[in-house]
Amino acid sequence: MKVVISLLLLLLSSFSHSAEQAEQIFNQLAPSLYQIRLIDKASGEKSSIGSGFQITADGLIATNYHVVSGFARYPHKYQLEYLDNQGNKAELTLESVDIINDLALVKRATTTKMPYFTIAQKPPIKGEEIYSLGNPHDLGMIVVPGTYNGLKIESFSDRIHFTGAVNPGMSGGPVVNAQAEVVGINVATSGNQIGFLVPHQKLVDLFTSYQQSPPQSIEKQMHEQLLANQQALISAILAEPWQQKPLGNAVIPDFNVPFIRCWGESNADRSDALVLLVVTSCALEEDTYIDNSFSTDVVEMEFRYMKSKKLNALKFYNIYQQQLYRVGPDNQAGKDDVTEFQCHHDLVTNSAKNTDSKAIFCTRAYKKFPQLYDVLYLSASVDKNDQALISHFTLAGVTQASAAAFTKQFMEAVSWK
Amino acid sequence: MEIIIEEIGRNKKLLARHKFLTNKVTLGRGYNNSVILSDPHICPEHLSIEFDGENWLVKDNNSINGSFLAESKQNADQHIIHSGDIIRLGKSFIRIILPNHPVESTVPFSFFEGLIDFLRKPLIIAFNIAFFTLIAGLMFYLNQPSDVNFTQVIVRAIGITLMFATWPVMIALISHFNKHEARIVTQLAVSFAFFNLMWFSDVFESIVAFNLSANWSLDNLIALVPIALAFLMIWLNCYIGFHMSKRKRTIIALSITTVLFGGGYMIQLSKQPDFSVLPNYDATIMNPVFKFAPSSSVDEFIEDTNRLFEKTAKEAQKNKE
Repeated sequence: MKVVISLLLLLLSSFSHSAEQAEQIFNQLAPSLYQIRLIDKASGEKSSIGSGFQITADGLIATNYHVVSGFARYPHKYQLEYLDNQGNKAELTLESVDIINDLALVKRATTTKMPYFTIAQKPPIKGEEIYSLGNPHDLGMIVVPGTYNGLKIESFSDRIHFTGAVNPGMSGGPVVNAQAEVVGINVATSGNQIGFLVPHQKLVDLFTSYQQSPPQSIEKQMHEQLLANQQALISAILAEPWQQKPLGNAVIPDFNVPFIRCWGESNADRSDALVLLVVTSCALEEDTYIDNSFSTDVVEMEFRYMKSKKLNALKFYNIYQQQLYRVGPDNQAGKDDVTEFQCHHDLVTNSAKNTDSKAIFCTRAYKKFPQLYDVLYLSASVDKNDQALISHFTLAGVTQASAAAFTKQFMEAVSWK
Repeated sequence: MEIIIEEIGRNKKLLARHKFLTNKVTLGRGYNNSVILSDPHICPEHLSIEFDGENWLVKDNNSINGSFLAESKQNADQHIIHSGDIIRLGKSFIRIILPNHPVESTVPFSFFEGLIDFLRKPLIIAFNIAFFTLIAGLMFYLNQPSDVNFTQVIVRAIGITLMFATWPVMIALISHFNKHEARIVTQLAVSFAFFNLMWFSDVFESIVAFNLSANWSLDNLIALVPIALAFLMIWLNCYIGFHMSKRKRTIIALSITTVLFGGGYMIQLSKQPDFSVLPNYDATIMNPVFKFAPSSSVDEFIEDTNRLFEKTAKEAQKNKE
């Protein structure tokens, strides 16, 4: 009994300790916390909000890129503004962005030296208690205690897995350890109690390069980052030799990288189906957000194996062909962002000469970011009367060289057994 | 002397023709006339045409509504007849022809006459309609993603055949209403022969699209085949149904074809959004039996895609300016 009581007491004390600490941290840091607002000039109202935190005495504030993306893309349409804990509002300037890691540096005018957040020297340890700060749903600044759970491995760009509620509006807010040092930045949520943070090191890198040489133009900076990231991403996928895995009577590539994940489905349970259909689809978990109608850095693949149960070849191919219509891109993009697709099609055989397919390749160019393209590939086998293999991929925001290298490896990796 | 009186409609179409060997012809509503007209605006003894030894003269018998030359207001009384003159009495028209009036040269039987005669043979008609029904049923069966039974196929096939049969029937009806021979069997024979040719052109189009790569695209050229077939069919429909000059027939067939295909194309164009997110590609696939063209290698395929990058980059550049 004694043991139980002392355990309970211990638990209680740790709870109150944690709450106390959170309050203390909040009071200490509140002056350096901001709500970042995107004001639509035409209506004069805020069109989106996020959080931000000061990182230098002279007014430099860190936030998420996606909080300020509207301004970065359409500076004439929007105005950037902050709201501090005293309720003061004033304009902000956009200084630098990291579009891949979803970070941005904005600056407020100040005449005095102001308090600011210090950035941690090293990452937290797994299980360490950390505190997320921000302004969810415009309800006022709050603090959310949670746990550091290491880096998410199924992600190409590093993300901290945070167990705690990160809500809309908290984006761009800091996450601090018990010493009030920044260890991450709120970026996304994945439902109840699962949040994702940008590691503090990414902010250090952005800040350091900003101090050395501030970017000349935000659009140019974004362009360079997109080019470098697609290069890193596609070479990472192509670097490891692909394994093979079976799909019905065919073989399809098995990717050796953790950030591409696959899912499967089939109609094997449907006894009345005329055709057996087995589907595997693989994709990169995250894309890169450019603005709310334009995203990129998508890698997505789909493989379909079909086997006719009792149909003649004519009917089988008619049903099969219906699977090939209305294939579209997997990233969002509009008329201002990209051109329309241009397509090429041909009958193609692989090097092993054991698979004949009709291949379709489409591409569209980015209007604001030269040398970047979206690519869509669709191939349908045409050499068996009762079996079919459809392979498909889309890549978003890649160069011609990356697209060609990926396409070649992909085409050679799909064949009959 | 001989004289020919033609009763004609407002559109100069012949309604009745009378030939007399006499020196006086009378026209009117009365039954004592040489030509009895039933138009209520015509007097019982309206008009007479008399030969004076040299010319035929028109004489109006003080009719209430008068007699005039063709559409004009010129009174026809005492008018000297020239062969081909048209006289208006009441609301009716007559044309007066003299025996030495020239006629157009004989139209020889054309190639089409032989073709039509061939297609009109009962066996050929039966075959064409049966073949059309069979293909319609086959198409329905092939495009159905689930299992279909025989009755469903038959009902659908006959339905489609009846639907297509409305075209020749409609043309026969129009020519019937225009006082031409309906010739419904001939229209059916010719129309179904062409409908079948259109099935073939469909299959042909698919085979070509499947075998040729985008580098050798003949899409636009091949798309002309069904248009040409439709034109030819309508031309023949007119040839059978209506007596008209070659030029007029060609113009009518061209206009109908243009309205049919051009209208369809316009509707498609109007539905097309200003900017399409989805790619537009040729997804024709056919089973291995229909594959004749050799396959390219992966490297050749990738080489071919280079031009797409150039093209879209140029377009992006153009939009930026």
